[in-house]
Amino acid sequence: MRLLSLPTPLLAAISLPSLSDATHTSNWAVLVSTSRFWFNYRHMANTLSLYRTVKRLGVPDSQIILMLPDDMACNPRNTFSGSVFNDKSRELDLYDQKPDTPTQESAEGGDIATESETSETTPQIMPAGIEVDYRGNEVTVETFIRLLTDRWPASHPTSKRLLTNSQSNILIYMTGHGGDSFLKFQDAEEISSHDLADAFAQMHEKGRYNELLFMIDTCQANTMYESFYSPGVVGMGSSARDQSSYSHHADQDVGVAVIDRWTYYALEFLETRLNSTSADVRLGELFDFMTFDRVHSDAGIRADLLEGGEEAARNRRVLDFFGNVQGVDVEMGDGGRESLGDWRADLEALRRIGERTKREMGELNVTVGAGSKVSAREAGADRSVLPAMRVEGDVLDMAASTGGSGWLKKAIGGTSLLLLGAAWVAGSKMR
Amino acid sequence: MGWTRRWIIIAFWVVVACLGLPYWIWTTSIHRSHLPLGMMNSWAEGKACQMSYPLHIRLSAPDLGEQAGSLLAEGVMRRMNELTDLQLYTFKLSYNDSLPTSTERDWDLLVLLSEEQNTNPEASLRSWAPVLDVRYDPNSDTNTLATFISQEVRTVFEYEHESLTYLLNDTPYATGKDTTSSLEGKTRLDARTTRAFKYASMYHLTFSLFTSSASPSSWDVDEALNKYITPLLQPLSKISKFTINTQVQLHASFSPSIAGPMHDATSGKWLLQKTDLSGFVNAAEWPLSPSIGAGPTINFVLYVPSVEQSPLEIAETGGTSWLVPQWGGVQILNPSDMQSATLSAGDLEQVMLTFADHLTALVGLPPSPQSLALRLSSLTRERATSLILSASSTLGALARLTLKLTSISIPDSVAKSVDETIARLDQACLDLREGRFDSALSNARIANDEAERAFFEPSMVGQVYFPDEHKVAVYVPLLGPMAVPLVMAALKELRKLRAAKLKSA
Repeated sequence: MRLLSLPTPLLAAISLPSLSDATHTSNWAVLVSTSRFWFNYRHMANTLSLYRTVKRLGVPDSQIILMLPDDMACNPRNTFSGSVFNDKSRELDLYDQKPDTPTQESAEGGDIATESETSETTPQIMPAGIEVDYRGNEVTVETFIRLLTDRWPASHPTSKRLLTNSQSNILIYMTGHGGDSFLKFQDAEEISSHDLADAFAQMHEKGRYNELLFMIDTCQANTMYESFYSPGVVGMGSSARDQSSYSHHADQDVGVAVIDRWTYYALEFLETRLNSTSADVRLGELFDFMTFDRVHSDAGIRADLLEGGEEAARNRRVLDFFGNVQGVDVEMGDGGRESLGDWRADLEALRRIGERTKREMGELNVTVGAGSKVSAREAGADRSVLPAMRVEGDVLDMAASTGGSGWLKKAIGGTSLLLLGAAWVAGSKMR
Repeated sequence: MGWTRRWIIIAFWVVVACLGLPYWIWTTSIHRSHLPLGMMNSWAEGKACQMSYPLHIRLSAPDLGEQAGSLLAEGVMRRMNELTDLQLYTFKLSYNDSLPTSTERDWDLLVLLSEEQNTNPEASLRSWAPVLDVRYDPNSDTNTLATFISQEVRTVFEYEHESLTYLLNDTPYATGKDTTSSLEGKTRLDARTTRAFKYASMYHLTFSLFTSSASPSSWDVDEALNKYITPLLQPLSKISKFTINTQVQLHASFSPSIAGPMHDATSGKWLLQKTDLSGFVNAAEWPLSPSIGAGPTINFVLYVPSVEQSPLEIAETGGTSWLVPQWGGVQILNPSDMQSATLSAGDLEQVMLTFADHLTALVGLPPSPQSLALRLSSLTRERATSLILSASSTLGALARLTLKLTSISIPDSVAKSVDETIARLDQACLDLREGRFDSALSNARIANDEAERAFFEPSMVGQVYFPDEHKVAVYVPLLGPMAVPLVMAALKELRKLRAAKLKSA
């Protein structure tokens, strides 16, 4: 049950050469369900199952973007209100781990022996709570593309953004109803594989990911990743072209299917094989787990975009995408103490210098600046330590580009239409 | 009669050609501002700027006299510029007798010579000023002294040169020869880059006190911050801006995913396994919100365990603090026996010093040389360089993007930002080459911000993929019913015309 920390890439490089392929420093997950309504219960269960997995393996909520178009837990048709299950045994409530599960006392410490016992019997618990970043009508193609390419107006909250950099690994999981090269969003619109491919290309251009694992569970899922062209992307899909992706089983009391086959087995794999964050399980094993007998469709992978091809992709650790890499630099023993003494002296001196310059600045009231243009911009730099400084910056409006000129265009368009109409009326009168 | 019909058809066609067609083109065209693609690419390919760093070193030797001093400066300068392993720098030395006033500074390093009888020459750096004190024997040879000084100055800038080369490596700006030293040095630089945050013009510092019980419930954080953190922020604020937030959280519990500390009966201590440290911060329950505003948050967590669970230590090292790369620092403060409700500034001294140490690592301050002032100016040069690199690669990415995605619009604001970026980059490059590093940094910062703004322009979202089949499907039902009679009538009339011509001929 204990989370063993992943070694930092550096440590890994030194101590475990066989695992040194991790070149990233953070993990992000984007989990998207794209369909609403009660009969699509399973799609939400799919997504929440994945959410539970990544959270269980240590990815903090701030690095998980969860998009749920509907709220099954509070749906009036839900017999078990406040709960979402992904199995008819209903052992595991995906929506919220209830506090009566007998796993809490371990948080208070205690000895290892009892703990290892409990870890064998009960599933590893997830920190409580679900943080949905985009819900209901917010789940649209536009939102999703904007999320990936990070093109937001300045007012968009940072907690809803994908703040990755070139050292981040991203897991993208999508589920819903789809077809050949498209995935439906909320019965209203669809995202095509080209849009996705272009979005990934832009992410790659700006160094927004190190490696990206794209998983999709929908009908004809494998067609979704065929048009990708950006390096470092690995695609996994549940079914080939012209194949349906099936649900696994229904729960008689819930009344609908509760999980899809492909996700079910992916989850079974993750739950049984990745019990701790030190588990050395490779992606290849996950691919191989998805046989036709299990999934009832041809699960596919695409790895030619990754350096080293499929061989390299199969050799990636599952935790490179599902876990969280958070290295730790522990303070060095005695050298640390000594340097603290230095620090004290340094800071004392700095404070004196600071006071002196402040005095001198007050006396002389000199402004130092190289170019006049630059110094104007720089003026803000001196008051930088104010505790609660206002952040200035141009607030970008979503429709900024069609602001003033847009209205002008509309006016011209309207006038020309009116003119045409008048000409027509005049023409008919003349006759 | 024939002509009336012809005129009608011609009139229709004229309307279609002169009004309809331009109208259609006008309404369906996408506004794409002109971008200076050539310039953008030349920046991206590293042709627009040659990185070099002139360093101005001032020699001051009150005892030496004008003549000898200038000679010495020349000797040192010759030796420095002959060094092949510091090829990014050019050194300029000047000699000046008078001691400089403290406010104005146009040199990067001051070498202060003083006489001391019968000693081998020795040198030491001042911690908070860019001053290298050199003590020498007045009877010694000028040549050996010059060699000695140049060696010392070289040591001062060696690390910085290494890390600048490391930055430039694998970019088009690389100088060709890979002078980066050993693998070990590279690993160290790798570790440093991994640890430090990416450059931002604004960082938010959050100091949080988490106690596992009800006390201490307050801390004298204002005083402690003023005493230990603000002096450090003052010089750092030349490079980035900082805001400070503090919070106190009582009854903070561990994350359930770690085993928690274990009691070690022999030493009477509670020990945390090193493997638990990455899960120590309970991200789910501790309110360490990442969204204070624009810019990254650097978290500093002070954890006070309950009296029953103290002293709490890391099992392997016996330390009480650690640093989480690109996130922040954590420090455990074991309460003394007399548990008071308030932590005084004195109690916090050691904590704040650790945090100051963490802060320097997290903002990327180089670990060497010893002098803080020199490390700061080092960081200025490194950040300016990396910002120029990042802005130019963003320009390249934007250029490629606009060529690849032909269906997205490019608003004028993007073109404006690009122009601004290029102007700022030019200025930054010039500043760098002329040794105005602070100004280079601020120009590079604006360039980078503008480049990012251009790339992440919210309206440049290629949302819907429109293949040609879709276009046909849209236009055929719209235009088909109108186009068929028009085309047919025109064809018929043309055929008639030809028949008439044939007949008359």
